[in-house]
Amino acid sequence: MADLRISFAGIKSPNPFWLASAPPTNSGYQVQRAFEAGWGGAVWKTLGEPIINTTSRFAALSFNGQRVAGFNNIELITDRPLEVNLKEIYETKKRFPNHAIIASLMVEPKQEKWHEIVKRVEDVGVDGLELNFGCPHGMAERGMGAASGQVPELVEKQTYWVKEVAKTPVIVKLTPNITDITITAEAAVQGGADAISMINTINSLMGVDLDTWNTIPHVAGKGAHGGYCGPAVKPIALNMVGECARNPLIDVPISGIGGISNWQDAVEFILMGATGVQVCTAAMHHGFSIVEDMLDGLNNYLDSKGIASIMDIVGKAVPKYSDWGDLDLNYKVVARINNDVCINCNKCHISCEDTSHQCIDMLKNENGEPYLKVREEDCVGCNLCAIVCPVEGAINMVELKQPLPKMTWNERQSNIARFKIDKVAK
Amino acid sequence: MDEYETLKWGEVMSDHLQYLEEKRKIDSYFEKGYQIVSIFENLSGTFVDFVTSNDSGEREIVQLQLLTAESRKYIASKLIIN
Amino acid sequence: MSTLTGGQISLNLIDNFKEIHPGLTKREAIEEANRCLYCYDAPCIKACPTSIEIPKFIKKIATGNLKGSAKTILEANPIGASCARVCPTEELCEGACVLNNETKPISIGHLQRYATDWAMQQREPLFEVGEKNGKKVAIIGSGPAGLSAARELSLLGYEVTIFEAQQEAGGLNRYGIVSFRLPTEVVQWEVEQVKQLNVDIKTNTVVGVDITTEELLNQFDRVVVAVGMGNVPHLGIEGETLKGVYDAIEFVKRTKMDELTDDLVGKRVTVIGAGNTAIDAATTAVRLGAANVKIVYRRTKNEMTAYQFEYDFAKQDGVEFRWLTTPTKIIGNEQNEVVGLECLKMELGEVGVDGRQKPIPVQQSEFVLETDVVIKAIGQSRHLLLIEGFGLEHSKGVVEVNPETYQTSKEKIYACGDVIFGNGQGEAMVVTAAQQGKEVAEAIHRSFVLQSEIV
Repeated sequence: MADLRISFAGIKSPNPFWLASAPPTNSGYQVQRAFEAGWGGAVWKTLGEPIINTTSRFAALSFNGQRVAGFNNIELITDRPLEVNLKEIYETKKRFPNHAIIASLMVEPKQEKWHEIVKRVEDVGVDGLELNFGCPHGMAERGMGAASGQVPELVEKQTYWVKEVAKTPVIVKLTPNITDITITAEAAVQGGADAISMINTINSLMGVDLDTWNTIPHVAGKGAHGGYCGPAVKPIALNMVGECARNPLIDVPISGIGGISNWQDAVEFILMGATGVQVCTAAMHHGFSIVEDMLDGLNNYLDSKGIASIMDIVGKAVPKYSDWGDLDLNYKVVARINNDVCINCNKCHISCEDTSHQCIDMLKNENGEPYLKVREEDCVGCNLCAIVCPVEGAINMVELKQPLPKMTWNERQSNIARFKIDKVAK
Repeated sequence: MDEYETLKWGEVMSDHLQYLEEKRKIDSYFEKGYQIVSIFENLSGTFVDFVTSNDSGEREIVQLQLLTAESRKYIASKLIIN
Repeated sequence: MSTLTGGQISLNLIDNFKEIHPGLTKREAIEEANRCLYCYDAPCIKACPTSIEIPKFIKKIATGNLKGSAKTILEANPIGASCARVCPTEELCEGACVLNNETKPISIGHLQRYATDWAMQQREPLFEVGEKNGKKVAIIGSGPAGLSAARELSLLGYEVTIFEAQQEAGGLNRYGIVSFRLPTEVVQWEVEQVKQLNVDIKTNTVVGVDITTEELLNQFDRVVVAVGMGNVPHLGIEGETLKGVYDAIEFVKRTKMDELTDDLVGKRVTVIGAGNTAIDAATTAVRLGAANVKIVYRRTKNEMTAYQFEYDFAKQDGVEFRWLTTPTKIIGNEQNEVVGLECLKMELGEVGVDGRQKPIPVQQSEFVLETDVVIKAIGQSRHLLLIEGFGLEHSKGVVEVNPETYQTSKEKIYACGDVIFGNGQGEAMVVTAAQQGKEVAEAIHRSFVLQSEIV
């Protein structure tokens, strides 16, 4: 049994799986059911001045029959008075003292507003605060959420105001709807954040109905952009976590969010620098019970690797994440087709022929049977054929040892720079 | 039959053969004792000026235009090796 | 047809003749369509005699473009709805699917049925008649080959008339294939599609009786002989005229023409032969309520010509097989009713010219199978009268054609379908007949283009 407990910026949790601030954490009833199911923590549905929601709020992306590949919502923060939420937080914490309850907060960017809500929330015994600077729709139109999260000065200032009164750790939740998330992450750190979490949802329009031409979802024939999440956003989130994790100026723990659906996804985020993860869409798709395999799978994974504690793998892949200019140009892989495994669907051929480097030939052997072969000298090692190949092991990307030494783009440029200067001098 | 046809067609498209030709030229200049004096890069590729001096001290300059990505990599790798 | 649902016989006989497979649900179709890899240079297309662009029509199902899907199928195969049901898919497209050893092949037949079923429900014409070119073609026979040729010729602008001896058009598909495999409505729809292209189908019209061959040749620029095959020949044994002896073709045909009768309920039935027609007759007998159905065959399972799925289907229906058994006499009672079938045991001898081991009688092995009904299914006879009426060269009733053009020994007469099948020539599949019909149409069109007769 591996030790799955985490300590996230001082917040203790029995495991790294938290429910993200979202519909699943709307009430005490739900959060208590989640804790019973095994979730380690919950970030309560964002508290603030109660809002009014529309009906018809969610929509999802199906891909080739696979439902909920992506998910979109136009729901806002809590629509219940603060007192009701605080009472339920208090009761839940009393029942589950060892589980982490984080209060997500959103108020207007005014010092007194932040001071007021922080004090009232901390009075009921939350383990930490998460500042919602990310909600991309609705609240943003009122100058909150992503609207303030996109302005580094506002991120820093609001974090600072919270830190003036907060007694528990402060997590700043960042919006991905920004060119470079490390800028706002740095601003949060400057403001005194104890941790950051990312990503909030991405601006999105799920679709347009082909018959009515209404947006999907629509409210009485009109739509507005929503926030996108679910499995499809995982690579975007993972990159943002990695970029922050490898940035030396962002020296606070990261809570990873975005498309995490199972223990494998969680391990990836943790290896890329997250100390814990938050989940929403997967739970909305399948219910709270999915956490059982998350815990079991993670535990078995750690045991199989001989790792005693989940905390031991935090950030272990971060040194492997770098800039393009630091990649070795003389490293070479090529595709190799295992004809014993290949089923001759020819997908590799056509993808290479039409859209890559035309190096997979459709040939016939002496018995007239078809087979595929890579002309390795023309193969650029792009991986496309292996990606489209439907059969595991039919195409392997193999490394070809090069006679040339390692050389990155940056090294190349600095090496030829002196000769360039000569030319210019002439 | 098929193999022959395809290979022939592949040769026409092959960046690889172009690279081998450019690499051969680079290697031959180095073998003949030429040295790089300047490297210039623009939209048309990398231009490498090689120079050699004979016994009488006359300098001879040849310019090589490298088109393929592989040889533009190769020339820089040679700078690291040399 | 990987799904077998035989073996559940209802007392209400009509239920037994409803199509066995209910067809894919929308969800099943989309899930299955999404499983297709969309191979490049796909082997399923090559394995289809009509070269349907299978990955293309499947992709169209996945994107909800059912009209495009049905059109892709029917462009290549005018009787694609029938073929979706009767093709031996595991020997053709599905047998070639690259997923065979990986997981399971795509259910191409079922998907084809899904798309063509959609087209049947829409009642919207999918094809338009070509611009008239002033040429007239007569087609004799409205089975798979005839309908296919008619459709193609009509698209090319020919004025086409089909002469059909039976009461209704459709040929083998209409009368010869059991309705629980191919419902009559499907065939009627396919006939309707051809009629909508202004093809005139003259039913109840026997060439050589109602119209002479000379009249035909005078009135039309080209003639296509697509008459298929005839009834089951005589066994040449005693007792063939007894009450209770049936010709398998007629036996199946009766269930597709008249109301089902209960005169087989509780009876013992013996079918002679082990081809697909024999299986059809045997399973039909089961579905008519027969208490016991046996198939006797003088060779073994290895030599039978029935498809594996047909055999499996019969087994599921509870049909018994008596291998290495040859009938020598049908025994009757005083009322001239069948009471038994005298048989002889056989053993396999040397390999014959067709590559199959020859059955040899075992001396003194006679025995009697008690039975109330005997159904003969030992192959089909040829329409010699018509073939010779046109003066076509043939070999044992198999019309000889130029394999490239399907031209017979007479320049303006073409032949396709089962009428040219046999003696090692061609395949007896419905889908092959459909393809030949297409090719005949192309060949006829080429013959005019070569002669510059069409402006």
